[in-house]
Amino acid sequence: MLRFAVRRLLLLVPILIGLSLLVFVWIRALPGSPAQALLGERATDESIAHVRSQYGLDEPLYEQYWRYLQTVGSGDLGTSIRSRRPITEEIRERFPATVELSISAMLFATLIGIPLGFVAAKRHGGLTDNASLFLSLIGVSIPIFFLALILKWIFAVELGWLPSVGRQDVLIDADHPTNFYVLDGIITRNWTAAWDAVKHLILPAIALGSIPLAIIARITRASVLDVQNEDYVRTARAKGISTGAVDRRHVLRNAMLPISTIVGLQVGLLLSGAILTETVFAFPGIGTWLKEAIDNRDYPVIQGACSSSRSSSCS
Amino acid sequence: MSVAEVEASELELEPASGGLWRDALQRLRRSPAAIVGLVMIATLVVVALFAPWIAPYSPTEQNLEAIAGGCCPGPSREHLLGLDDLGRDELSRLIYGARYSLLIGVVAVAIGLTMGLLLGAMAGYFRRADSPIMRLMDIMLAIPGFLMAIGIVALFGEGGLLQVMIAIGVVNIPIFTRLMRGSIIAQRDNDYVLAARSVGVPSRKILGSHIVPNAISPVIVAATLALATAIIDAAGLGFLGLGPQDPATPEWGTMLTNTVRYLQTAPFLAIFPGIAIVIAVMGFNLIGDALREALDPKLRGRT
Repeated sequence: MLRFAVRRLLLLVPILIGLSLLVFVWIRALPGSPAQALLGERATDESIAHVRSQYGLDEPLYEQYWRYLQTVGSGDLGTSIRSRRPITEEIRERFPATVELSISAMLFATLIGIPLGFVAAKRHGGLTDNASLFLSLIGVSIPIFFLALILKWIFAVELGWLPSVGRQDVLIDADHPTNFYVLDGIITRNWTAAWDAVKHLILPAIALGSIPLAIIARITRASVLDVQNEDYVRTARAKGISTGAVDRRHVLRNAMLPISTIVGLQVGLLLSGAILTETVFAFPGIGTWLKEAIDNRDYPVIQGACSSSRSSSCS
Repeated sequence: MSVAEVEASELELEPASGGLWRDALQRLRRSPAAIVGLVMIATLVVVALFAPWIAPYSPTEQNLEAIAGGCCPGPSREHLLGLDDLGRDELSRLIYGARYSLLIGVVAVAIGLTMGLLLGAMAGYFRRADSPIMRLMDIMLAIPGFLMAIGIVALFGEGGLLQVMIAIGVVNIPIFTRLMRGSIIAQRDNDYVLAARSVGVPSRKILGSHIVPNAISPVIVAATLALATAIIDAAGLGFLGLGPQDPATPEWGTMLTNTVRYLQTAPFLAIFPGIAIVIAVMGFNLIGDALREALDPKLRGRT
């Protein structure tokens, strides 16, 4: 088992190097340069040359790549060309935002999806079953940004129940030791801040969680249906164990295996959806940051954001 | 099924060629989900093909008088789904938009499918090609798909119909490569392959006319479902402003993003394109799911 794990981890090394090379070459193949994006259309040749030498963009590519590997290895990811802030600092602010959003989305998806799939399987062929199948069909068919817009329109604009943009109300005075805003509120015992952060998370989490919710509900349903007909379930029933205990101890526990696999797989897929969700709700996470960095040709930011999200998508 | 039929089916140990497909077709015809999905997609295809005859207006024609009183007059008898912020008929633009969304989906999946089948077949059949191809696919899969699509569009400098198709097509390559390779490996060591090889059939021919036809059915299911994802992703790129910018090509995602500003006064402008996307995606999802069930060999004979 240990040998297998070590082998898999070693196999990751060439993938990581290949990925860093791919990202490096790809962003330098993008048309337009960071100097141009920073200085605008009326930049003179001298000012562009100055910015290029300032960020080492005039060196040969292999030297730039070597320098990039060195900085990554030392844990320093350089400075953003656009905002001139250290990348590690921005990641410290933005990565928790996306993680917080992803955790909330997965919580929503599993807490609703597993019971929904379970009930559907229990009432196989009935109204609940068909309703849950239809709901999960809608879930995988509705584009995230459309659902996000509709939610924002109904609950934030029309009804005004929930905030529509950002992570926290600007008027709230709160400390952020960890940058996980909900956690920060709890640690500093600032309950208004914590509750406000939760309210800001609800709509984006529902939007981002819609696809995982649909898939989890479907897998749960299929897996419970499978397990229900196993011999050991019949034996347990024959022994006279109550239905609730059979469901809890025999059906659900065995059905959890494929469910947990699918939950794990969905986590890796969240970042794609996070880009769109964060855009709709102006949520300052990795997704919007990366999109802006691509627009501005902010090489160090793209490299930094890719390497910080790589750890999650590789595993 | 009568007793005689049961006996007959038991006697027929080797099903005739095309049996799986005939079976699958029969089961598809009895699946309400498949029929609903087919009707949805067929309607969209007809609408897309005959857009100039169906659409009441041209997608670029502006009715400036109607929007003189402010944006945007809602549905009326002349304009069934209302007018957009530039005074263009929303329904006509949606009808023309069906062309672009379907086209993007089909071309993107075709790109991913061809490249994926080629690479997957090579990786699965020629053992020496396996490791390099699959490591490359691992690298591609390590990048979140939608992010990679954004990156590829950025590589072209500007968004557009062709760029979006290529971007989404490339994102699909590793999916099909993996699937095809898995399928082929499952077939590779079968007796019929050994038999073909022992009578001297060249390996290219074994791969093309023996293994691939037997390994293709999961790929077809995946392709149908990939069409749904491709349409969603294309709309997502359009929503981020990376879709076709030409006002004469009203792509649904781009239409949606252009009207988000009017969400408070004219929500229908965002809702109608959204519903159009949902219908197209749902249609392909329904067909894909029904196909998967119909082609599942475990369910064979249980018509």
